[in-house]
Amino acid sequence: MTFEQINAKVVRAQVGPGQEVLARRGAMLGYEGQVTFRPLAGQGQGVGGRVGAVMSGESNKMMATEGQGRVLYGFRGLYVTIIQITGDSLTVEADRLLAHSANLQTSIEMVGGGGGMGGAIRGAVRGAMTGQGLFTTKLSGQGTVALLSHGGTFPLQLNGEMVGVDPQAYVGHVGALQVDLKASVGFRDAIGRGSGEAFQLHISGHGTVYVQASEKKF
Amino acid sequence: MPTIYDPNSLPVDDNINHYAFSIDLNGEWFTSKGAMIAYYGNIDFSGVAAFASRAAWVAARFSSPLYTQDWVVAAGQGKLVIGDRGNDINSYDLEDGNLTIKAVNLLAFQPSLELKQSIVPGFVTLIGTGKFLASSNGPVIFVEPPFRADPDALLGWADCPSPSQHYDYNWMAQSFMAGIQGMFGRESGEERQYDFTGAGTILMQSSEMLRVDSALMRIVESQTNLLDANSAGALGHKLIARAQQSNM
Amino acid sequence: MARLTAEKKVLHADLEGDSVKAAAGSMVAYQGNVEFKNAGMGGGGGLRAAVRQRVAGEAVNLMECTGHGRVYLAQDAFDVTVVDLQQDTLTVESEHILAFTKGIQHDVQFAGLRGMTSGQGLATTKLSGTGQAAIISDGPMIALAVAPGMPLVVDPDAYVAGTGQTQMSLVSGVSWRSLVGEGGGEPFSLRFEGQGTVYIQPAER
Repeated sequence: MTFEQINAKVVRAQVGPGQEVLARRGAMLGYEGQVTFRPLAGQGQGVGGRVGAVMSGESNKMMATEGQGRVLYGFRGLYVTIIQITGDSLTVEADRLLAHSANLQTSIEMVGGGGGMGGAIRGAVRGAMTGQGLFTTKLSGQGTVALLSHGGTFPLQLNGEMVGVDPQAYVGHVGALQVDLKASVGFRDAIGRGSGEAFQLHISGHGTVYVQASEKKF
Repeated sequence: MPTIYDPNSLPVDDNINHYAFSIDLNGEWFTSKGAMIAYYGNIDFSGVAAFASRAAWVAARFSSPLYTQDWVVAAGQGKLVIGDRGNDINSYDLEDGNLTIKAVNLLAFQPSLELKQSIVPGFVTLIGTGKFLASSNGPVIFVEPPFRADPDALLGWADCPSPSQHYDYNWMAQSFMAGIQGMFGRESGEERQYDFTGAGTILMQSSEMLRVDSALMRIVESQTNLLDANSAGALGHKLIARAQQSNM
Repeated sequence: MARLTAEKKVLHADLEGDSVKAAAGSMVAYQGNVEFKNAGMGGGGGLRAAVRQRVAGEAVNLMECTGHGRVYLAQDAFDVTVVDLQQDTLTVESEHILAFTKGIQHDVQFAGLRGMTSGQGLATTKLSGTGQAAIISDGPMIALAVAPGMPLVVDPDAYVAGTGQTQMSLVSGVSWRSLVGEGGGEPFSLRFEGQGTVYIQPAER
């Protein structure tokens, strides 16, 4: 385990050779030992990754932590959830990544786009339309991820059924899940004001969805 | 349903929950303006300056002129409930000791303690024997030197020498090459830390950039007296440029 | 019967073919077959409702959740408290209502207490009847008793709700905020006398 939960808002990472950490810039609270920080210029691979990076504007927010020591991470008092990835993959909103093991593979994807570049573009248009920015980072391999949320997350286990999630409360998911962005006319009526909350994510399959107790994005 | 408290069942100088504290007032406490969220009993609140005109000991205890206008004296008998915007609240007991803490996080202290301004801007030092209350974003994390702390996440320190500033040249060189930021922009926290050495305890919290310390502006403004007129003018232009940039 | 259960910052509303009313936009997730529709101000249509809407603003805009399943309701990561009402009345600052079950009537009253003290308040709502009401607070709710000879003074910015027979008055002369006049807030606090319970949050708005 490379991350230790110190309290609801702070994690401690043990950094060493082969145990480097990528973290959001500005998230280092303090450290002991011989540790250095290096800003990263970009993240994600492939055409989709690059397009996503450009469109999401999130790619330049990360930094690498190297050397030997222990580092505290936290960000603006937001809550932190630690998720262990063991061979499967975690999809999270790019903005919510606090830190993760450097050996995890990352790529940028759209959720609710239906897959593929066409899907990504369609999704991007929809994302832009709703102002939700449903660009996500997909992390896979073996390692640990620390996620930011407003007020903490709660997991919803799915065994084949569907769950509806407010896109603004969606944090991420693990497992083979189908994510669709739906415009709900009834819901639009319920909310009114064209606030963009007329959209829901319909998530189904087998896995875990992480939701925060707030509609606040950051 | 939450427990229903009354003046007798409210805790005596203890936390009600992580975010609220009940002072058993019998005499005086210094409290920061707006820290009171409720009270039972007969309690008067008056400005530190006004109270000092009636009680000469106040000036000796509150020797921190920059913060005078942000503080009041709560005097009387009763239960006084303290809160701070949903932040965690901790009480600290000093026994002939001293502790330096971020000024915006200090909420209340007993008049048996003395308050002084730290030479580190934005921090104050409490000296003597008594209890004080301070807030933190999330629970306080205690660490020991040698340790380097992001200034935004540093809550305070006790029993160790004041920190020096450490600049990470590696980070700054990389940043210049990547064209990421100018020297005058908002720092991300990785290029500059407070460096603690020696023996003692460092108090950390999750960083928070939203708190405005009204005294900090007074501190910085007073330091511009060191500049001559031309330099002061040049600084003014830079500040205007920065304000315009951040408005875009 | 629909049942409300508080799980710290999230409210579980378990529906069995019936409905609950909830603050519009507070659904963060749901499982099952649930429909959401605008419940407006709950006071029917017409001029009276329109006037109330003006007074109350959006803070009391409600939606009706109907069906079978569980709805997860939350707002701004605030803590949730469920209050059981038995032929009782709970007076709440309207923006602190998260949800309530059938059997509870709600009635928007006037510009809220905060409005009286700072000019920024929205509205106060009376929830009365028998059932469950879920209210939210920034940090865990603190309940303080008021009894004869035991008046309570609270910061209007921390006040959330109250029950019972209490009289409220404004107290001035509390000068901790007026000294420099920061932020324009009037130096008033709220003084409660009588018999009842006052709910406050450990945070100023």
